[in-house]
Amino acid sequence: MALIADPDEDLVRRVGQGDPAAIQAMVARKLPRMLALAQRMLGDAAEAEDVAQDAMLRAWKQAPRWKPGQAKFDTWLHRVGLNLCYDRLRRRRETPTATPPDRPDSGPAPDRGLLAADVGVRVDAALARLPDRQREAIVLCHYQEMTNIEAAALMEVSVDALESLLSRGRRALRQALADIRPGAEGA
Amino acid sequence: MTSERFLALVAAYGADARRWPEPERAAAQAFAAANPAAVAPAVDEADAVDALLYASRVPHPSMALRDRVIASAAEAGLRARREGRRWLDRLAITMGAGWAAAACAGVVAGVMMTSYLTADAQAEAILYQASLIGVDDAEVLG
Repeated sequence: MALIADPDEDLVRRVGQGDPAAIQAMVARKLPRMLALAQRMLGDAAEAEDVAQDAMLRAWKQAPRWKPGQAKFDTWLHRVGLNLCYDRLRRRRETPTATPPDRPDSGPAPDRGLLAADVGVRVDAALARLPDRQREAIVLCHYQEMTNIEAAALMEVSVDALESLLSRGRRALRQALADIRPGAEGA
Repeated sequence: MTSERFLALVAAYGADARRWPEPERAAAQAFAAANPAAVAPAVDEADAVDALLYASRVPHPSMALRDRVIASAAEAGLRARREGRRWLDRLAITMGAGWAAAACAGVVAGVMMTSYLTADAQAEAILYQASLIGVDDAEVLG
């Protein structure tokens, strides 16, 4: 099996040795990505923080025994983060009372234009209503900027299946937000 | 690159060519350049979805969260090992050896100085005793 080049390899090695500077650098590099992943998958800030913190804790435990060349550390960390997100999504479904309040996509108020922040809120709400796998595909490819091959491997689907999920997700978003004209929002 | 494949790429990855799969990117860009009118509706539609996606914002990690995560590294057992401080250890050993050598040299010098001073004192004692009457040198020297 060909060794996989990993831009995080040296950093992970130093983290595994307990290097305080490397730990700080790892937090700066990965915590925002984990928080963004969890925030967009769960749509809940407090839960996203819990997931990001838990994912980083698992990274600390994994670093001393990480074997370079077999996988990218970032991909492994995303797998951990996604599993944690799916655990919470599953619990929400099993416990209806734990479901966070639905954020209605009420559209813009009639007496004012759309601010950029308003559009962001509505996009987040529309993302949250997508089927989990469509949302996951969009989050991984668009927001986490993974390649199609990385995202497909992470989701354990073919690239064709990933593209189908992406297309359907993007189409659903466009339909849900059809009233927003591109560039209509203010700064 | 076929028209069907180009439309599938744009529908999945959006209008920004940088997001298209690298192996197909050049061919797709060439197709778009050669067929601008044909691709425009799909590209415009994908561009609109891209703009919506970019409007989503997520917060940066708070300082409190950063601090908790950094603290959790120690809780997970990550401690600075001493490998990175070997040069410091070597320096400490070298300096310790230097102090030990200096102490030994001081002891040797002290012993030698004591012997030297004792010899002078003994010589003076002999001369003094020699000046006295009726005292055997053997008593002084032992």
